[in-house]
Amino acid sequence: MSSVEQAGHLPGLPDEAIGRRIVEHRAWGETVAVALPSLSEDQARALCGHVRTRARETLRRMETARIVEAIDRASACLLDRAHPLRRKAETLLPVVTGYDRETVRLGLTSYLKTFRRPQLLRFLAEDFSNPGVLDGFQPAVKGGFVRARGPDLLLHVWAGNVPALPLWSLVAGLLVKAGTIGKLASAEPLTAGWFARLIGEADPELGECLAVTWWKGGEGGPEAVFLAQAECVMAYGGNDTLAALRAKVPVTTRFLPHGHRIGFAMIAREALNSRRAGPLARLAAHDIVRYEQQGCYAPQMLFVERGGPVAPDEFARHLAHELAALASRHPRRRLDPGEASSIAAWRSVHEMRALDGGAVLLGDPADPWSVVLLDPATGLSPSGLNRSVAVVAVDALSDVPALVAPHRAYLQSAGIAAAPATLFRLAEDLAAVGVTRISAIGRMTAPEAGWHHDGRFSLLDLVTMTEIEASAEAAAEGFAPYAD
Amino acid sequence: MISAAMAVARDGREVAVMSQTEIIGILLDFIGRPGATDAEFEALALRLFAYQFAHNAPYRRFAQQRGRTPLTVRRWRDIPAVPIKAFKDLTLSCCPPDDAERVFMTSGTTGSGRGRSYHPTLAVYDASMLTGFAARIMRGRDTIRMGILFPDEAALPNSSLAHYLALAKDRFGTEDSAVFVGPGGLDLDALLTFLAEAETSGEPAALLGATYAFVPVMDALTERGRRFALPAGSFLFDTGGFKGQSREIEPDAFYDGLSDAFGVPREACLNMYGMTELSTQFYDDGNAVCPPVKSGPHWIRSRVVDPLTGVDVPEGETGVLVHHDLAHFNSVSAILTEDAGVIAPGGFRLLGRVEGSASRGCSVAVAEFLAAAQG
Repeated sequence: MSSVEQAGHLPGLPDEAIGRRIVEHRAWGETVAVALPSLSEDQARALCGHVRTRARETLRRMETARIVEAIDRASACLLDRAHPLRRKAETLLPVVTGYDRETVRLGLTSYLKTFRRPQLLRFLAEDFSNPGVLDGFQPAVKGGFVRARGPDLLLHVWAGNVPALPLWSLVAGLLVKAGTIGKLASAEPLTAGWFARLIGEADPELGECLAVTWWKGGEGGPEAVFLAQAECVMAYGGNDTLAALRAKVPVTTRFLPHGHRIGFAMIAREALNSRRAGPLARLAAHDIVRYEQQGCYAPQMLFVERGGPVAPDEFARHLAHELAALASRHPRRRLDPGEASSIAAWRSVHEMRALDGGAVLLGDPADPWSVVLLDPATGLSPSGLNRSVAVVAVDALSDVPALVAPHRAYLQSAGIAAAPATLFRLAEDLAAVGVTRISAIGRMTAPEAGWHHDGRFSLLDLVTMTEIEASAEAAAEGFAPYAD
Repeated sequence: MISAAMAVARDGREVAVMSQTEIIGILLDFIGRPGATDAEFEALALRLFAYQFAHNAPYRRFAQQRGRTPLTVRRWRDIPAVPIKAFKDLTLSCCPPDDAERVFMTSGTTGSGRGRSYHPTLAVYDASMLTGFAARIMRGRDTIRMGILFPDEAALPNSSLAHYLALAKDRFGTEDSAVFVGPGGLDLDALLTFLAEAETSGEPAALLGATYAFVPVMDALTERGRRFALPAGSFLFDTGGFKGQSREIEPDAFYDGLSDAFGVPREACLNMYGMTELSTQFYDDGNAVCPPVKSGPHWIRSRVVDPLTGVDVPEGETGVLVHHDLAHFNSVSAILTEDAGVIAPGGFRLLGRVEGSASRGCSVAVAEFLAAAQG
């Protein structure tokens, strides 16, 4: 076993005083030991105090442009394949998360590309017509002046093993100048800490306003301290986790939950001719293979329209073929018994359905992928994940919004392959049932810079506006030394 | 009543299908006859498979889809195991469901609906339970004073555990044994009196109940600063885990807590592992070390498989438990559980549930989706 990788970034706390909890991750025949920080309540309190104070004293006074610059430089380091941390990421993350090396490499690059200066400026412009409100009072259209401030202490509670995913909310918090503490996800406890350290190297003052730590959820102690001290809590996880957290957050604290989601795709008959169907199946297979459908934007069901030259069952076979082909370049990691059980349970449901002729299972249980063709159509339901997907034959794509509507609370991304008029017509109906993101097939797992996660404003949701109303401004004139 | 029949293979081989009466007779005999050989287990397993294949239509279709029929299967390990989830979706019974003397149902705390096991008679279930309990819990003792921490059969007529504990109390409990969970919940005062009496009497006593039922008792004792020292020979019996009915406690802390509260060594803290989808239970020989090795009697066997392929995992590796319970004759004998396990000398170690493995990312997985769909 190689050395122990220290996770997290804890400015202001003496390193030797920090307790550590060693967790071993195994995949691809290798083992990586990660030392998670484990703070006492007093240390948690001290960390909150340090970050909050430093944020007030330095971060609040920084121009947004300086923060953008630091994030850009940190991203550049992790994009540089020769940089020691990037090399470390490419070595350790496949073992920690179980994703194959190619997936990790491509995924890291694809994410980090969205945190370069131009993309960060777009991120800001997406939420603020005048990003200057983050630096000072700006004239408001309605009159008076307005300024936006992020929370003094923003707590992120991350979850999941998709590499670098926490960077989205971490970056959002920094852009609004929030003193930031993040809780690492046990399943991917490394990238956020590395990124924080790189920020600290790029801009040491900014690095002091940002901490990345860990605690065991649901056990009081430091968790209670962090939850009590934060002004805003942004949390990721399943509904049970979120409900438990929300119950512990003071009512005056803003709580921004991001629950689990289910993605699906729709393929119109005009995309199903013999020339297009194959490439489209390949793109869909990429969406399924990348991160093994663990990301909320990944498709778990594909609704395929009847009436094109390539029928839904034929498309299902194309898809099975592409998944089989991808398995050699991007092997699926060994599933743990729980994951294998999920697929087995999903397959067995469809096996039962197949007894009545309503389903056809493609592939063998031992294959590293599963495709089931459902005809007649059924409502949206999750797959067994890890490259298991249902192809649902529908008479018309306009039937789909009704099939997904009952699950509004879980909807987010939909991939669509259709002609422009159809795309916009479907988009109206999908928006009405709660879909918040529509992408091309093949781009489902790569949201573009500045996207609205779960339909929310990534930056705007974090800030509080302070307005100087026109009356105050006008009245002030009366008290000016130059007043007549 | 299901009568005997004969199925004929294309090659002219005949597979006899027993009648229900024959099955029950053979099973009662098998249960009562220790030291059955592997060959005897296999032979009876195959005959039961033929019976279940003939009379349990959903199971037949399931098996056919996997290409496993009584005419192709020659080893008990090849008999297809039904995922326990199917007990919720399908009526898995050889006899018409209305003919069942008793239907045991899962508690239905998760997922869609409640899993059902139909019992045309309880004779086999009872024989299996009593024989196993005598051997593994009573261990040569005839009776013991029992306190039961679970509602009785009248309150929970569809609970296999309520029936199980009623059998235990009626057959192995002394006259002054009692149930301490009534319509109003736990009768703590009566339980404390029971424990105090047991303590002073010097006669061994036993507390039996759901794992989660012990938690409020331990909490109450801690709160009152009360500890008991039950006489030597006393034992504690828990089963089923916490099921969200109490806070979760790590096994070592739980058994330390039990041992401390009642003055019973951890070797005498016995855990039963049973399921509504079975008619036979597994036991350990105490929880001095967790997780202990669990094992069952000669009419049940377990495998550890890759749940996806159903193939046995190499020895020593973790997989999902498949149980093959000959006593569960009217439903299906081979079930694929949602419990992780690893084969160990003399049995297996239970490593917790694998059900509803959440995604590692932010994708919604089936369990959460279903839970929400039920409101």
